[in-house]
Amino acid sequence: MGLIAIGAGLAVLTGAGAGIGIGIATSKAADAIAKQPEAKGDINKALLLGCALAEATAIYGFVIALLIILFLK
Amino acid sequence: MGDLADKLMEELECRTPFTIPIFGGIPVPESCIMTWIIMAVLVIGSIIFTKTMKVVPKGAQCLVEGFICWMDNFFLEILGPKGKKYLPILETLLLYIGISNVIGLFGLRPPTKDLGVTATLAIFAILLIQYSGIREKGAKGWLKGFKEPMAFMLPLNVLELVIKPLSLCMRLFGNVLGAFVIMELIKLIVPVGLPLVFSFYFDVFDGCIQAYVFVFLTSLFMSEAMEEE
Repeated sequence: MGLIAIGAGLAVLTGAGAGIGIGIATSKAADAIAKQPEAKGDINKALLLGCALAEATAIYGFVIALLIILFLK
Repeated sequence: MGDLADKLMEELECRTPFTIPIFGGIPVPESCIMTWIIMAVLVIGSIIFTKTMKVVPKGAQCLVEGFICWMDNFFLEILGPKGKKYLPILETLLLYIGISNVIGLFGLRPPTKDLGVTATLAIFAILLIQYSGIREKGAKGWLKGFKEPMAFMLPLNVLELVIKPLSLCMRLFGNVLGAFVIMELIKLIVPVGLPLVFSFYFDVFDGCIQAYVFVFLTSLFMSEAMEEE
C-alpha cells in the first residue's frame, strides 16, 4: 500500500511542470495585454490554447495516479 | 482509505442499466442513454427556438442567434472561407461536448467520463481532419503533405495520425474524470452546500473550457490540413 501511494504521488508531480508552464504563459499574456490592450481577444485565444496544452501533462499525471491507486491495490 | 477507494471505484464504473434482448442481448451503457438525453434536449431546443423565427429577432431568438453567429465567426476565423461547409459539424460537436460536460450540474453522470465516448469523438475528429485535407488538396496533395517540411519527417507525420486523437481523447477524458472524482470526493465529505460552489467551477467552467479546447484544436488541425503550399 505504501509503495502504491508513493508511486501515485510521484505521478502527480507532473503537475509542477504544468503549473510552471501556465504561470509563464499567463505572465507573458498579461505583459502583452498591457502593451497592446487592443489585441486582447487574440492574446486570450492563444493563452487559452497554450494553457490547455500545458495542462494536458498534469492531466496525464493525474490519470496515471488514479489508475495506480484504483487498479494496483 | 480502502473504503473510499471502493466507493470511488463504484462511481467510476461505467454501468450498463439494461440490455436490448435481441441477438443474445446488446448491452446499452449509461453513456449511451445520457447521449440520448442530450440529443433529445438539443433537438427539442432547436425546434422550440426555430419555430417562431422572425426577421427582426426578439428575446430568446436574439440570444440563440448571437451564440450561433459567435460560433460561425470563431470557426471561420480559424478555417478561412474554405471552411464554411464544415461549420455545422463543428458546431454540433461543440454543443454536444459542452452539454455533456455541463450535465454533471444536474446530478447526471457526464458521458464524456466514459473513455469509449471520448475515444470515439477523437477518432471522429481525426477522420474529419484527414477528410478535409483530402477534399481541399486532393488525394495526391494529401499524401504529399506527409513529407512536409522535409522527407525525413515522414515517420513523425505518420505518428501524428495516432498522437493527435490520443491526446485529444485523453485530455477530454482526464479533465472530465478528474472533475468528476473531485466532485464525488467533496460530496462524500460535505454532502450539502459546498458541492454546489465547486460544481460551478468543475462542471460549468471547466466543462465549457474543455469543449472549447477540443473543438478549437480540431479546427486548428483542420486548417493546417487544408492549407495549400
